Amino acid sequence: MSRKPDYPSAEDPALVKAAQKGDMQAFEELVARHRDKLYARAFSMMRNEEEAIDLSQEAWVKSWQRLKQFQGEASFVTWMTRIVINLCLDQLRRQKRLRAESIEQLDEKLGGVERQMPIVTPNPTERLERGELRQRIDEALARLSYEHRTVLILHEFEDLEYKEIARRMECSIGTVMSRLFYARRKMAVLLAGLKREELR
Amino acid sequence: MINHETELKLQAYLDGELSSSEAMAVGELAARDQEVRSLVEELRATRTLLKGNELELKLPESQEFYWSKIRRQIEREEQAQNAEQGKTAASPWWIRFWVPAGVVGALVVFVALALRNPQASGPALAMDDSHEIETPLEETSSFSFRSEAAAMTVVWVDSHRE
Repeated sequence: MSRKPDYPSAEDPALVKAAQKGDMQAFEELVARHRDKLYARAFSMMRNEEEAIDLSQEAWVKSWQRLKQFQGEASFVTWMTRIVINLCLDQLRRQKRLRAESIEQLDEKLGGVERQMPIVTPNPTERLERGELRQRIDEALARLSYEHRTVLILHEFEDLEYKEIARRMECSIGTVMSRLFYARRKMAVLLAGLKREELR
Repeated sequence: MINHETELKLQAYLDGELSSSEAMAVGELAARDQEVRSLVEELRATRTLLKGNELELKLPESQEFYWSKIRRQIEREEQAQNAEQGKTAASPWWIRFWVPAGVVGALVVFVALALRNPQASGPALAMDDSHEIETPLEETSSFSFRSEAAAMTVVWVDSHRE
C-alpha cells in the first residue's frame, strides 16, 4: 500500500516532480503556496483586481500544461512569475492597440515633464512604517504610465537586465533605458511628496 | 543641463550595465560635475527605496474557490484536447483508405470508358502507337506514345511550337 505524500511539508522541487507525473494534489499545494505572489505581480502590472485574478489563474493553467518543460534552471516560483508577466504583457499590448494614444505616451516621445523636474532626494530613512512606505510606493507606481511602470517592475522587482526587458517588451534597449530613466525620475518626485503643480 | 545620452549613461552606470572603461569615464564625470553627482544620487536613492519594498498583496479569493476554477479550466482544456485528438485519430482512416480508394476507383472507371470508346473520349486518350493530342494552348503541342507490349505511355509536351 503506497503512503499518501505529505504535501504541506514537501519542498517545491518534490511537488513539481510529483505534479509533472500528473499528481494534481501536488500542483494544488504549489498553487496554495504561490498564489498570492503571482496575483500581486499581475496586479502590480495591470492595476485591476479582476484582470489580475484572471491572468494569474490563466498562468496556473498554462503552467500545468507546460510543466514537463520545466527543467528547474530557475526556481518554480521564478518560472511561474515569468509566465504571468508574459500573460500580462500580452494583455497590455492588446489593450494598447485598443486605446488611443495617451498623454503619457506623447510625453515619452517629447522627453516628458520628468526631464524638467529638479533633482530630488527621496529619503529612505524617512520615518515611515514599512507597510506605509510600501503603500506609498504602490500608489506612486499606480500613477505611472503602464510602459514606465512595467519597465520599473521588471528591473527593480524582477531583477531583469535591460536586454531581457527589451526582449519581453518587444522594444529596443534604448527605449527600455529611456522609460526606466523617466520612471525613476517620476517616482523620485512622487516619493518626495512633490506634485507637478509645485514644479511649475 | 545634462543631455539625455549622458543621463542614460549615468543610469546604466548605476545599474552595472556599462563596460569597465565606460564606467570609469562616467565615474570621473560624476567626480568633477556636481549636477551629474546629484542626479546619480537621486537615481540611486530611488532604486534603494524601491528594492524590497513592493507591496505584498493577498489574492482576494479563498484557496478552494480559486483552485476549483483552475482545476475546472484544466479539465475543460484537457477534454477539448482529447476531443481534438479523437478527431485527428479518426481522419487517417478516411485519408489512408477511402480517399485513395475513391480516386483509384474513379480513374479505373474513366480509363475503362475511354478504352471502350476511344473516339468519344477525344484524342488525348487514344491508345494508338503514336498520336498527336489536341491542346487548348496555341503555342503548346503534346504527343503521346503508348506501347501495349511494354505497358507504357509517354507524353511529350512542346511549349515552343512554331
